[in-house]
Amino acid sequence: MTAHVVNVVLSGVFHASILFLVSAGLQVVFGVQKIFNLACGSFYALGAYVGVSAVGWYLEAGGPPALFIAPLAVAGLAVGAVGVVVERGLLRFVYDRDETFQLLLTFAIVLMMEDAIRLTWGTSPRSTSGLYLTYGRVGVLGTTVPVYNLIVIGASLAIALLIGGLLTRTAFGRIIRASADNREMAEALGVDMRRLYATVFALGTALGTLGGALVIPATVAMSEMGIELIVEAFAVVVIGGLGSMRGALVGALVVGVLRSIAISVYPELEMLLIYLIVIAVLVLRPRGLFGGPRA
Amino acid sequence: MSGRFVLALALGATVLAPLVAPTYHVLLMLPFMAYAVALLGLNLLFGYTGLVSFGHALFLGVGAYTGAFLTSVFNVRSMETILAAAAALGALVAAPVGALCVRYVKIYFGMLTLAFGMVFYTFVLKFYRLTGGDEGMPFLRPALVGRSLEDLPKTDYLVGPYYYYSLAVLVLATLVMWRIVRSPFGLCLKTIRDNPTKAETLGIGVARYRWCAFVISAVYAAVGGALLGPPTGNVDPTLAYWTQSGNIVFMTLLGGFASFFGPVLGAFVFIYLQDWVMSVVPFWRLIFGAILAAIVIVAPGGLAGFWVRRPPVEASSP
Amino acid sequence: MILRAEGLRKLYGQFCALDGVSLAISAGEFVSIIGPNGAGKSTLVNVLTGVLRPTAGTVTFRDRDVSGIGPARLARLGIARSFQLVQIFPDLTVLETLQAAVVSRLGHGTRLFASLAADRAVREGALEVAELFGLGPKRHVRARHLPQGDKKLLDVASAFALRPQIILLDEPTSGVSTADKTAIMETLVSASRRIGVQAIIQVEHDMDIVFGYSDRIIALHEGRVLADGPPATIEADRRIVDTVIGRRARAR
Repeated sequence: MTAHVVNVVLSGVFHASILFLVSAGLQVVFGVQKIFNLACGSFYALGAYVGVSAVGWYLEAGGPPALFIAPLAVAGLAVGAVGVVVERGLLRFVYDRDETFQLLLTFAIVLMMEDAIRLTWGTSPRSTSGLYLTYGRVGVLGTTVPVYNLIVIGASLAIALLIGGLLTRTAFGRIIRASADNREMAEALGVDMRRLYATVFALGTALGTLGGALVIPATVAMSEMGIELIVEAFAVVVIGGLGSMRGALVGALVVGVLRSIAISVYPELEMLLIYLIVIAVLVLRPRGLFGGPRA
Repeated sequence: MSGRFVLALALGATVLAPLVAPTYHVLLMLPFMAYAVALLGLNLLFGYTGLVSFGHALFLGVGAYTGAFLTSVFNVRSMETILAAAAALGALVAAPVGALCVRYVKIYFGMLTLAFGMVFYTFVLKFYRLTGGDEGMPFLRPALVGRSLEDLPKTDYLVGPYYYYSLAVLVLATLVMWRIVRSPFGLCLKTIRDNPTKAETLGIGVARYRWCAFVISAVYAAVGGALLGPPTGNVDPTLAYWTQSGNIVFMTLLGGFASFFGPVLGAFVFIYLQDWVMSVVPFWRLIFGAILAAIVIVAPGGLAGFWVRRPPVEASSP
Repeated sequence: MILRAEGLRKLYGQFCALDGVSLAISAGEFVSIIGPNGAGKSTLVNVLTGVLRPTAGTVTFRDRDVSGIGPARLARLGIARSFQLVQIFPDLTVLETLQAAVVSRLGHGTRLFASLAADRAVREGALEVAELFGLGPKRHVRARHLPQGDKKLLDVASAFALRPQIILLDEPTSGVSTADKTAIMETLVSASRRIGVQAIIQVEHDMDIVFGYSDRIIALHEGRVLADGPPATIEADRRIVDTVIGRRARAR
């Protein structure tokens, strides 16, 4: 019984770590640019495919399989550069528009990315066959979990701490927080908004693509994975509170673990439960658990 | 006057289409007319009240599944009964959902409607014993105005009686919506879109009007959803997925939310362009994504914006 | 006595914007509320018009407690307002704006399928107000295209179209050229007579307007009523002249 519970919770936490990365990307972009980026799921899918390819090349080139995680992470982060293209090429034109139009523009990006991925990688699912258990399994409280899962959980936590540190202890973090609070003020103080927006969006994108790359050994890359993840990431940020990093962490844990429990107890409930929680949070606490005080 | 001329021309062409146009293109008119009905409703919310719902596929789904249940489970075949039931259920679902949603505006309204849409989607997807899950449910051929029409070959049924039935529903829905946007009620909606604070100080209860607009738009979407069923003969959950909600907002924007007929035009262009693009290249989303991006960035007035160069509302009096 | 406020307090966190304000307005009065920036004028207007719920105290309108009931219900009861920063419906024409107010007053908003154009009561009500405010010739102009002065006038006119018993004007002449100020005030006063408005309450900075039109002046300072009396008494009071009116006293 304990073994089963531990298993369910750990698989939930694994999913939560991935969800956290994507949601953190969503949050940082919303926090600074006030754009709810529906395309964050597409970046996640992109990261997954690039990850598959990168690992493929790496193994073909004769790299030791034990170190596959290195090219995976590097590729996942590097493809975040797409964010700069998207921001400079599209988003920057709509900063002064109604948020509805901003939302629709990111929906346009979702549509384009989905096909761009199909064009590049084809329509059949891709996977990194057999690498998932490279590091074996380890016993935890009577059950065994893939070591890879623990590595991803650890990496995600480390990234959470890193972002926390970046936001609270560095000059760049102060600029981000100041711009999130008051754009005009930050601009008046000489912050280069153009560069900041491009950087922030690239950071948000890289978090999404890294999430996609890291999840891939445990699953397969499919072109619909992006539009499916966005609604989960959406649930995370609503529950946690739009724009809040702590909210992303807690929200991801809530969604990841609850989903895992629902799947093992009563599979029909799965996401239904999550959306009902989202509605409850939106109705009772529209700013989420960690959102600002304004109602 | 020229507007009326174009309208008469369009209506005439639509009436004559089954007699002259290739069957394939006539069949495409069916989803167009169904979406057009739904979009008239969506635009009451978007263009006239200033609220963008990202979960309206929910109501398309309610309408379509109402028809599927009635025909395949309860063996109710009358299309009039189906449409009335779809409208009633649409209103019934929209009443509580709307009451919660209209307390918020902009992005929060969008998110809440999206969440409700996903609740419905997951419900029909997961409770497959009831709904057939991702395989969907059959929507059996409905009888039109009391005539069973079971003996007709499917295509003859669709391009004949069903085509004109859909057209009649669309025309009726258009006339009713035309009255609504030109009524005192419609004027109150426009004040809310333009400036809710000011509307409130004029004694216009913003939340109540928004709720009414929400319910009416849901009824339209449900009727449109029910019309979508017979052409394919099957109803599945993708109809209620969030991307579908995005697509119908896309159609509205494509045609032009600021004009009464903009969304109808949007649905038409969307359906035919999508069909044409898919016949040329398999990647319609890439092209449509680019079109949507271009509209958002350079032509937020949509296609109607090129035609009539004037801001959102038409004058109500001469 | 048609409007009465008693012991109004409004706290924003630690900050006390209104600290025990009481006032009473009788039928037939034109009352001006004056005070330096931060005296609590805006908060008072927002509490009187039901936008804000007072932390303590009550507002009664014709013996009915209306504290915090919200602007829409208050407008239907008979208290209308205009705004300091002009509030219009940018895409509606002058006529449509006034029609909206009349629709609201007559309760025609529930008429879903009736034709607005054929609603003669609404149309005539709107045209009457348009004429009163000299907006008749511009009735088909969209509000966004009106000159600033006319936008201000339309904001006020739409409040009058509600035929309110009390009208609350938040700086009716702010942002308007000096030459137009008197014209607006004259229009306003004659319109209120024609329509049968029973009391006008205005917040105003321009002391010529305040002293030229008011029957009574209420001076606010730091959230309290510093003085409440006819213009002559107020002008004679050194203390008020120093704290509230300052500039005018020097100019004279």
